[in-house]
Amino acid sequence: MIHVENLFYRYEAAAPDCLRGISLAIAEGEHLALIGPNGCGKTTFIKHLNALLFPVSGKVVVDGMLTTDAASVRDIRRRVGMVFQNPDSQIVGMTVEEDVAFGPGNLALPSAEIRRRVSRCLAMVGMTGFEKRAPHTLSGGEKRLLSIAGVLAMNPSYIVFDEPTAYLDQAGKERILAIIRMLNQQGMTIIHIAHDMRDVAEADRVVVMDRGSILQVGTAREILGRPDLLQGIGLATPPEGQRA
Amino acid sequence: MIRLGQYTPGNTPIHRLDPRVKIVSVVALSLIIVGATPAEIMLLSAFLAAIVFAARLAPVQILEALRPIIFFIALIFLVHLLFTEGEILLNLAPLPLRITREGLVRGLYFAWQFAALVIGAAVLTLTTPLSALVEGLDRLLRPLSRVGIPSQDLAIMIAMALRFMPLLIEEYERLRMAQTARGADFTTGGIALRSRALVALAVPLLLSALRRGDELALAMEARGFQRGGSRTTLHEFIFFEQDIVAFVILVALIMADLSLRIAAS
Repeated sequence: MIHVENLFYRYEAAAPDCLRGISLAIAEGEHLALIGPNGCGKTTFIKHLNALLFPVSGKVVVDGMLTTDAASVRDIRRRVGMVFQNPDSQIVGMTVEEDVAFGPGNLALPSAEIRRRVSRCLAMVGMTGFEKRAPHTLSGGEKRLLSIAGVLAMNPSYIVFDEPTAYLDQAGKERILAIIRMLNQQGMTIIHIAHDMRDVAEADRVVVMDRGSILQVGTAREILGRPDLLQGIGLATPPEGQRA
Repeated sequence: MIRLGQYTPGNTPIHRLDPRVKIVSVVALSLIIVGATPAEIMLLSAFLAAIVFAARLAPVQILEALRPIIFFIALIFLVHLLFTEGEILLNLAPLPLRITREGLVRGLYFAWQFAALVIGAAVLTLTTPLSALVEGLDRLLRPLSRVGIPSQDLAIMIAMALRFMPLLIEEYERLRMAQTARGADFTTGGIALRSRALVALAVPLLLSALRRGDELALAMEARGFQRGGSRTTLHEFIFFEQDIVAFVILVALIMADLSLRIAAS
């Protein structure tokens, strides 16, 4: 369970708050979608869940561990996986298998266990056979899959996806959404930042953010059925037939 | 396609050797080559040829490795050939130059030495993936962590630099094309004009590299990386029979080299 309580954050002391009093509870196994216009603080918010950023005030608690507790940071980062927007900036290995092995290596797992995880996670995202490929030779969609495999190899309980379908063609989008669905069905908690409203249709809950605050929380059906709310913050509503 | 390193996949005994053994062997071989007497040239040349043969490398691959330094090899040869005093073989009058027997021998010797060093290093990079080289280097340097040198962090830094090189090249190409499309010209005009165009390219490239660096640091932290923290790797480095054989051959070569030197003195 992740508890966020009255979270405030600003990047610089003199700057205005990017996050203003966010409170949210994310249950285990939930599929939570996060939507909002550019610059509303979605990415800043999710970086708190993985202890990459720390609240200026308020608190974030992951499975009973405070993110500000230095002793818990490694465990929090193992539990909360992050798939960033730009896969090129998160692939660190010189080959596909070495990239997937990076996280388990940081957990100091034995090589045999790392090999098992690499093979399992590449199979989960349909990239078996790519082990020896150099990441820069992969397509955009394949890089995205690799970044997901790299996070899965940490055996996380929660995965945060930051616009995972951005810049992908329809087939690529569907592939990523199918993986998210599969992970959620296996019991993994999903926190999914989306720009395309059609991507959030399968979420259990949708959180609408604007200007650093939570504007509304509801089911996908409730939120997508409020074109006034979405259009008010500059988001397009999907056609009738594609809503939840 | 951008290709890093020159690794050629294979399953020869040389390919299968532990990268640590290969790195140590190349360093030892380089030291022997640098200090080799003319009498040892035949022995070392035969040894290098045997390694190239065992690694099933085509002569064209070795020539390809030598190609970037062929000018320097020629320069080294010519400098010694033309400027060494000794028994005159050919007088190049009216030029104030003479080819001497000693110059010819020294020129050939130093050119061979330089080429042999490059061939040794080429065999290493042609038969070892870059990642294995970096991991091997990490394992070799690990004892230095006891005196405060972070070998694992150094290995990660090297791997990151190699990983990001193709990305930076791609970024450079993207920026160059974007600016060309908006009228920038990098191919014509004087040096001042071209330099100005390149500066306009360098600034966004630098900013992009810094931004990527920031994002990468975050992504690494998110995946549990901690500077100075203990890490394990995908590959286990275990000495196999072939590594022991290679080690014995290396020791035999060093012994033969020492014997020849003692005999020569």
